[in-house]
Amino acid sequence: MNFKKTTTLLLTGMLALSMTAGCKKKEEGAPAEAPKAAADTIKIGFLGALTGDVAMFGKPTLEGMKMAAEELNAAGGLLGKKIEIIEADDRGDKQEGASVTQKLISRDNVIAIVGDPTTGITKVAAPIAQKAQVVLLSAGATGPGVVENGDFIFRDTLLDSVAIPACIDFFAKDMGYKKVAVITSDNNDYSVGLSQTFLAAAKTKGIQIVADEKVKDGDKDFSAQLTNIKAKKPDVIFFSGYYTEAALIMKEARKQGLKANMFGGDGLYSPKLIELGGTAVEGAMSALGFSPEQATPVTAKFVEAFKKKFSGAEPGLFDAQGYDAIMLLADAMKRANSADPKVFKTALAQTKKFEGVSGTISMQANREPIKSPLALLEVKGGKFTLKAKVPVKID
Amino acid sequence: MGDTLQSLLGHINPYLLQIIVNIGIGIVLALGLNVITGLTGQLSLGHAAFMSIGAFTSALLTIKLGLPFSVNLLITGVVSAGVGALIGYPILRLTGDYLAICTLGFAEIVKVIFLNLEITNKAFGLSVPPPKSSIPLPIMVWVVVILAVVVVSFIHNSRFGRALKAIRGDEIAAEAMGINVARYKVQSFAIGTFLAGVGGGLYAHFISFINPSDFGFLKSIDILSMIVLGGLGSIPGSIIGAAVLSAAPEFLRFMANYRMLVYGGLLVFMMIFRPNGLMGGINFTEVFLKALGRKPHMKELKGKEELP
Repeated sequence: MNFKKTTTLLLTGMLALSMTAGCKKKEEGAPAEAPKAAADTIKIGFLGALTGDVAMFGKPTLEGMKMAAEELNAAGGLLGKKIEIIEADDRGDKQEGASVTQKLISRDNVIAIVGDPTTGITKVAAPIAQKAQVVLLSAGATGPGVVENGDFIFRDTLLDSVAIPACIDFFAKDMGYKKVAVITSDNNDYSVGLSQTFLAAAKTKGIQIVADEKVKDGDKDFSAQLTNIKAKKPDVIFFSGYYTEAALIMKEARKQGLKANMFGGDGLYSPKLIELGGTAVEGAMSALGFSPEQATPVTAKFVEAFKKKFSGAEPGLFDAQGYDAIMLLADAMKRANSADPKVFKTALAQTKKFEGVSGTISMQANREPIKSPLALLEVKGGKFTLKAKVPVKID
Repeated sequence: MGDTLQSLLGHINPYLLQIIVNIGIGIVLALGLNVITGLTGQLSLGHAAFMSIGAFTSALLTIKLGLPFSVNLLITGVVSAGVGALIGYPILRLTGDYLAICTLGFAEIVKVIFLNLEITNKAFGLSVPPPKSSIPLPIMVWVVVILAVVVVSFIHNSRFGRALKAIRGDEIAAEAMGINVARYKVQSFAIGTFLAGVGGGLYAHFISFINPSDFGFLKSIDILSMIVLGGLGSIPGSIIGAAVLSAAPEFLRFMANYRMLVYGGLLVFMMIFRPNGLMGGINFTEVFLKALGRKPHMKELKGKEELP
């Protein structure tokens, strides 16, 4: 080894070491700067996307949360303190989701986090919240593997595994559907999971699956899949993906003269479905946990307040779930008479028949919620209207 | 020893630690691409694909075999490098835009394969258990960063590295000088993809949940922006580029919804006023030799020639 190489090695080593040393110093100084847990407010963090592709889930969730906090604060606060919502945008990116979760916990000292509305980031955030012993309540994650992360992790969404069997029962009995064509978007984890649940439930309910087609998020041409489906003459098409593809699929179906309507999960529930699909999506159905129609007194009050605040706009599923998330946390804290996550998490787990705006919520022993009723919406005259409220059994 | 290190990390704010680990992973990935694009001049738009191969390999090694983390990372790197060499052999015959499009296509193929494989849990993604190692992950990441910086510095100043620079300068001239262009290109691709794989392995264990869709085109572009911002072919450039771009979304957080606007604006201004990147053309050796009052290597040579 000559002189030059030795110097290079030494210098790079020194530089690298000095860099890490520099970082360490900066880090060690940090905890002192971090604000002490403010005793006069109860801080609840919001984790979700406010910009980017999935902002359409994050924004309404935050709106709902803020509404709930304002209502509680106007009524004198919680345990004699005001609620403060701390928002942080993760752009739907996992790495940023992890950073945001850490920030909310260690910088802002929140006692609970609501979010993320998507399953992927919730799964990233859950181990962090569990380790730091902060309650994480997801308002939107429907996929598997969320609450399994530990006893600080909850969610308030209607689960596919509960909603789909109830829906199939309704279809088989009230609508007389027997033959179903299933379409899955196989690069979308939500869609793959929903289809799996549907196929498993259909098997036990005696529904015949006549076609099982695969598409991808971002596809524009669905003629091949629909030609196959048309030949099988299904009573209804089950599509588990999002509204963009759903609208295009229905346009193609009508073009080919297929009469069957589409049915899907909350992924179809968006005004964009009608905007993109026009008359083709007339009759399309979406099963989800919230509808502003046929409201219970609690829901009616929420819908009215929401309309007043947002100049006449109707609240959506995520508004309602965000609102319920804060109310669930507040209810648990009241019952536990404590804002310590280690204490009120037990109360949250024991929630039974909580009257939420998105239905009656009960927590099971595994911290998974059961919600009733299920709302089945149908596109009628270019608008989502309530077709039926399907009850779900609560123990 | 593991406990002492762990307690040492306990004094650090977890949020800052998170950013520092993000930076570390960014540096490993950027250094890998810097060897391929910066040093050898082969534009690759599929770096995230090798990161995803590394992430899934490493995750599966931990889940199925429970290998110790250091061995795991080494195997992960070798697997990625193997795939890199295999892919590099046919496609590195292409140049410029054609190569870029080919790497782009390869990245899509990798994504679709992982989306359909049973072992990678299809579109659901994998939950990754904590790594089997007594050394805490943040320290592991920075050990890897230091090793990567040292190794890539050596490559820069070796005969091999000069051959790569010659290929970047002019392939035909390099071949005329007796450099086996095809072989050197594949080797540099293998080194770059090795680092991408290791970076992916670190990412998988750090984030603890991975999904094939995370490693799309945008991730490749993120890594490319790091080395272009820092300066193509410069090691300190890659480090600073990775650090700035990994930390910027967090440091700009106080601007709320405007931060991505500012982030984009910063990139545009950088490219207008320093088109060669922050540290374009600057390397460790020269900087430190200068700091020590010695003349950089090339000037020394020139001086000798002029002497007689």
